Amino acid sequence: MGTDWRRIVLEAAVIFFLGVALGLSFNFRLVMDAFTGSLPASPAGTEEASAPAGRYPVPVTLEEVRQLLDEGAVAIDARAEELYAEGHLPGALSLPLGQADALIDSVLRKVGKDAVIVTYCSGYGCPDSFDLGVRLLEGGWRDVRVFEGGFPAWRDAGLPVPEGGP
Amino acid sequence: MKRLEATLYHLCRLLLGGLFLYAGLVKADDVGAFARDVANYRILPYGWNYLVAATLPYVETLAGLLLLVNRRVRPAALVLGGLTTIFMAALVSVIVRGLDIDCGCFDPGGEGHTPANMALLRDAGILVLIGLAGWLRGRRERQL
Repeated sequence: MGTDWRRIVLEAAVIFFLGVALGLSFNFRLVMDAFTGSLPASPAGTEEASAPAGRYPVPVTLEEVRQLLDEGAVAIDARAEELYAEGHLPGALSLPLGQADALIDSVLRKVGKDAVIVTYCSGYGCPDSFDLGVRLLEGGWRDVRVFEGGFPAWRDAGLPVPEGGP
Repeated sequence: MKRLEATLYHLCRLLLGGLFLYAGLVKADDVGAFARDVANYRILPYGWNYLVAATLPYVETLAGLLLLVNRRVRPAALVLGGLTTIFMAALVSVIVRGLDIDCGCFDPGGEGHTPANMALLRDAGILVLIGLAGWLRGRRERQL
């Protein structure tokens, strides 16, 4: 009378897939967005959506970012300098959120207050680009967007990621 | 002897059950932050970090609950043992590559920073407990 391994493995598989199904059913939108590299333009029910217009940076999708950059928008990388050096969006300026107060004037000295600015960091779940966007709005820049897919979405779309320090 | 064994068994399963239930719930509560923790390992492609972050906490929660309520203990222990083994492999790869990241084991985006070698040691201890719980459960079932 040995251990009934077949039953145990079978039941373990059921537990595992039940958990996966549960997780997917609760987070289906997020996972889909992550795989398609797009977030809904106005996430309903989130804090950002209910906040007064103009005080928060506007979320933009990968396609919109490409178009904005083609039209001369300024990309700003909110990640640490080392990550910037390993690869960033073409032409992006490096302004790590932690050093924003110290560096904002020197990094953005050539960027007019009317310029279109797109901030980004390490993708969904990374709040730095959003926080930096808020900081820029407070600093007087009027049109600030946040690319929530961030560097990972850009890189995984096969777009160029030049290396090198700021 | 039998009573000692029973006490040890229940202690193991309650400890593990509570641990994984907690680990699952705090991560399920902030999937975005947990996805960043997973992405920090730089193992998975972009979208997969989110798939893992969205599903793993629920598997942990479910298996932890089963241990707590003393049902399907060995299958649940097998699931958690498999997960812990994968975690350990990921942590070893972190150490080998010299990455300085938080293990993301519990509270995602929290203040705590558990280095990979500490997390690896902790996972090894958990794995021993899981094996012990499963083995003791098997002995109990044979004695009935």
